[in-house]
Amino acid sequence: MKDSLTLLARIPAHPDSRCWFLAWNPTGTLLASCGGDRSIRIWGKEGDAWVCKSVLGEGHQRTIRKVAWSPCGNYLASASFDATTCIWKKNQEDFECVATLEGHENEVKSVAWAPSGSLIATCSRDKSVWVWEVDEEDEYECMSVLNSHTQDVKHVIWHPNQELLASASYDDTVKLYREEEDDWVCFTTLEGHESTVWSLAFDLSGERLASCSDDKTVRIWRQYKPGNEQGVICSSTDPTWKCVCTLSGFHTRTIYDVAWCYLTGALATACGDDAVRVFEEEPLSDPQQPIFTLTAHMARAHSQDVNCVAWNPKEPGLLASCSDDGEMAFWKYQRPEA
Amino acid sequence: MAATVSPFSGVLQLTDLDDYIGPSQDCIKPVKVDKKPGKAGAKIRIENDGSYFQVNEDGESQKLEKAKITLNDCLACSGCITSAESVLITQQSHEELHKVLNANKNSFLSSPGVDFVFDTTFSRNFSLLESQREFVRRFRRQADDERALPMLAAACPGWICYAEKTHGSFIVPYVSTAKSPQQVMGSLVKGHFAEQQRLRPDHIYHVAVMPCYDKKLEASRPDFFFQEHQTREVDCVITTGEVVKLLDQEGVSLPDVEPAPLDGLFSSCSEERVFGHAGGGSGGYLEHIFKHAAMELFGIQVEKLEYKPLRNKDFQEVTLERDGQTLLRFALAYGFRNIQNLVQKLKRGKSPYHYVEVMACPSGCLNGGGQLRADGEAGKDLLLQVERLYESVEPEKPEANEGVRALYTKWLGGPTSERARQALHTQYHPVEKANAAGFNIKW
Repeated sequence: MKDSLTLLARIPAHPDSRCWFLAWNPTGTLLASCGGDRSIRIWGKEGDAWVCKSVLGEGHQRTIRKVAWSPCGNYLASASFDATTCIWKKNQEDFECVATLEGHENEVKSVAWAPSGSLIATCSRDKSVWVWEVDEEDEYECMSVLNSHTQDVKHVIWHPNQELLASASYDDTVKLYREEEDDWVCFTTLEGHESTVWSLAFDLSGERLASCSDDKTVRIWRQYKPGNEQGVICSSTDPTWKCVCTLSGFHTRTIYDVAWCYLTGALATACGDDAVRVFEEEPLSDPQQPIFTLTAHMARAHSQDVNCVAWNPKEPGLLASCSDDGEMAFWKYQRPEA
Repeated sequence: MAATVSPFSGVLQLTDLDDYIGPSQDCIKPVKVDKKPGKAGAKIRIENDGSYFQVNEDGESQKLEKAKITLNDCLACSGCITSAESVLITQQSHEELHKVLNANKNSFLSSPGVDFVFDTTFSRNFSLLESQREFVRRFRRQADDERALPMLAAACPGWICYAEKTHGSFIVPYVSTAKSPQQVMGSLVKGHFAEQQRLRPDHIYHVAVMPCYDKKLEASRPDFFFQEHQTREVDCVITTGEVVKLLDQEGVSLPDVEPAPLDGLFSSCSEERVFGHAGGGSGGYLEHIFKHAAMELFGIQVEKLEYKPLRNKDFQEVTLERDGQTLLRFALAYGFRNIQNLVQKLKRGKSPYHYVEVMACPSGCLNGGGQLRADGEAGKDLLLQVERLYESVEPEKPEANEGVRALYTKWLGGPTSERARQALHTQYHPVEKANAAGFNIKW
């Protein structure tokens, strides 16, 4: 099982600082990293080596917690503890900050671009989730401020093909939102985790959502639409999201990130025990009660907490991870022979 | 909508308002706790209910006072956007009013110890007239003063609290100085009416009924406190929802109450008819200022305003055009998201507006946090019903009210007098941000 994850490269991405988050551009040619040094670095491959193509400094006053590429790949959004979100426009290899989204009361924890590219979501320690709309002139306006969570909101992601938004919080819940008339509303709350929910990932179809938590578990939630064959009760016209699988006993500390590979279906986790793990679904298991098995476990993937795992969107099995030690690592994942 | 319903407007819910504890968890205000004198080394015991007891060496225990902050501490502090509800509860609540009414036992409001009942529409006439004049003055000054326009409405205390605490010295110059109807009524009651009745202002207990919890914050501002008489313009604000609680407490059903006419503030005779103001359920500031400015500045008589919804139903625009040129551009911006966009546009120098009627609540004051609530579709229907009912009241032009005109002359000594300025205008206080991030930055 150990051989299923091979180290390809290890790079001091944000030396003497933490490396918080990684994001592949849609074509998988560039990787953006961000860190406690208030910089964003853009990495690309030259031959066999990953090299730093650009450094985006000057945008933020404090830690940059997360970055996200627009679906077209021409914009990068960065969420910072300085309470702002910057939008960077790509011109060849240069990036220019074209907008700064202000409004959150304090630390912005996460940012995500909707599949259409015209909406952005941000979330903050101020407990709110904001939806922003962008027009053709790179003007961003706030569409909605959602105050559903009762604590710090850690993460936001969009559904891969619908305008449906999910957020994870220190209040131990996941909330899902949709548009209603000219505003956004929270239509369901996923309860089950016993501590902070740190991150979320949809699978390719968007039918399932993985959440990871300080309670050392990963939960898989499945969507049941009104009138579903399984007889799962839906309260109204909205679907019910039900927990169909809990991965417990694998992680020894907080799980900070979870990533679902759209190419292979493999699920990777980043853990506070310094390890990177990969899980795969048993092919013949019941979709209503799927079984996931641990297929890779890299115990000392980093020398400190692993903060993020990111699958390359084009190259199957190429996984990037980053850590509090300031480093990022590239891994080749190969499904073990049965 | 959030499952945890806070009574305050959305603007004030942004940070710590939902933790109904006081002081709130991030409160940075130093609090003085009166400890009982004793030798050092006493132990503190915490009971199951969370109360603290100081245990001295002889084993005697004394309950310790809970730390309390006043509403004024809270308003002057930048630690969070506003106070916890418990701070308000101690000063302004229907329980407090109930106590006062019982101490003053003497139709529904008139029976349990209330001597006079006035309509806020009367005092809103002054707010509207003062806002109209202020706008025209600012418009004429715009070439010399870049902060003259846009003028921003000031009647919403949620918005004012947010503006002072979050955007402080940047936004305050734009805010209209005209007092809100609640506070004009305070001036009238404790000024003019007290004189008329030969009463000392502090011998009148003045209660305002409002659709809004944030109005309690407004009544508590030091600006609305008569130092000379040690009394507030408005002693207590209760919400419409709290009125219902009071009625329930008294076992009174509203439909069974005999209707009684309102008292008149100017003359001693009572008002047989109820009037309102045009321009929606949030005071009609935009409507009145627009019509007045069109006539005063451009000689154009506007009969009916065309409200154009822009980004959403809570952001609407009204323009005055002549020969293809836009003379006036006004907007309504209700709810936190629209306030955000307005403030950000202003900061980037991209706001095209001359006047903006800003209100913290989506849909405006009729949807205020103090109003009765229903869930889901029923809530929307209820709001629609309230809006219809409110609009069914016959509108009155503030200029046409003889009582108002007479009061300007007799009480205030004319609309431009110093006395008028004092009674009808107020000021704002930017709260400089304490660098909360400063002492805890790790990265």
